[in-house]
Amino acid sequence: MTKEALLAKTLVELADTLVADFDVVDLLSLLADRCVEVLDVAAAGLMLSAPDGSLRVIASSSEAMRLLELFEIQSEEGPCLDCFRTGEPVLYQDLSAPAGRWPRFAAEAIRAGFNSVDALPMRLRGSVIGALNLFHLERGGMPGADIHAAQALADVATIAILQHRASLEARALNEQLNHALNSRVIIEQAKGVLAERLDLDMGEAFALLRAHGRNHNLRLADVAQGVVEGTLPVSALDAG
Amino acid sequence: MHSERSSILHRVLGDGTDELETKRLCRACVEIIGVTGAGIMLMSGDVPRGSLCTTNEISQAIEELQYTLGEGPCVDAYNLDTPIVESDLANPSTPRWVAFTPPAVEIGVRGIFGFPLQIGAVRLGALNLYCDQPGPLTDEQHAQAVVMAGVAAQAVLILQAGAPPGALAAELDASADFQLVVHQASGMVAAQLNVSVAHALIRLRAHAFGNSRTLTEVARAVVEKELRLDATNGEKDPLP
Repeated sequence: MTKEALLAKTLVELADTLVADFDVVDLLSLLADRCVEVLDVAAAGLMLSAPDGSLRVIASSSEAMRLLELFEIQSEEGPCLDCFRTGEPVLYQDLSAPAGRWPRFAAEAIRAGFNSVDALPMRLRGSVIGALNLFHLERGGMPGADIHAAQALADVATIAILQHRASLEARALNEQLNHALNSRVIIEQAKGVLAERLDLDMGEAFALLRAHGRNHNLRLADVAQGVVEGTLPVSALDAG
Repeated sequence: MHSERSSILHRVLGDGTDELETKRLCRACVEIIGVTGAGIMLMSGDVPRGSLCTTNEISQAIEELQYTLGEGPCVDAYNLDTPIVESDLANPSTPRWVAFTPPAVEIGVRGIFGFPLQIGAVRLGALNLYCDQPGPLTDEQHAQAVVMAGVAAQAVLILQAGAPPGALAAELDASADFQLVVHQASGMVAAQLNVSVAHALIRLRAHAFGNSRTLTEVARAVVEKELRLDATNGEKDPLP
């Protein structure tokens, strides 16, 4: 497969969030691996922000890369952190330059064999959710075309992650809504059963359900379900 | 598309007037899409759960018919997960909805359309639109209807997001018609005939259909003790 074909294939794979087993770690591991395969990059890694706002290492193309990213977070300095904070790319950073931006991080990176680094934001409009780190053996970073390609991959992955988050949230809310509606329905059904069996009006039937729930420390919907399904005999209801 | 959607949402949810949001939502559908009337039906499983809002009596009747008969454009849009288009219900392109069509035509419905209320893979119900003249939706109307169905889905989830766990959001509870009397009647009929509430609902629907009444009317008659269903299918009940 040519480089362009592999790049196109990767874009499609990253965009496909509707697969049943969508997983953020898998998605970002794929992104890190393909950066190394398709672009002129020695190692790639991704960090995402956790709900508390701190960055976490999510995926790395190699173990050396993973350790370096962990060091970056611990030492609180490095290209990924700067990129995440500003939301802007951090490009063509020679690590061997004297008096560089990140003295501790640069020393550690050079020890691991890397001489330059680029960092690209994972950003959609206002929200920055993480950053992509690209490390090179040589000084001088990578060609402009590769930077554009890497940013395109990061953008697609960002959209996929945000869509996935939105859909999880929508699903959870919809489940809550259905649960609440089901509870309402079953309570009305139980009122009907009691109204008929005990010759009550709907208000009295509701009061009886609620009193039994309070007296026995049961949720109203559970009492109602017992009545509707016949597991809680009407004669056992206890108005207190 | 995204910003259009959020600006509509903002208009519908956030202008601080006292009018119930859901009413505004339905009216916005009529104004933006340019149809005679609109309604939003909440569904779960393959069952209509209740009407969130309607813009006029005919829209309300369209929802009531579907609720009574269990068939129609909203039911199909939701179950088949696709927009349903019938440009002239009096001379339908696809013969369907044998029970729904005659009464709908009789009250003046010609063009009728159903759009699933959807966010990603989550479906909450359907938007129904009708016109009192025959004719297809233009491409633009179709596109606007898709956007408005998405807006409506988002609005429902935003409203529900503020509810305490297990409860229905107060705004939904206040404005939607969840046909509670139908569930009360189901409970009463279940107790009268010694059948499950699901079976009781089928009997209520059959009675409504067989007597050209709405499910709500029949349910109200049962709850008011003006009607008692017979154990032996006595009152013109067609087979469910």
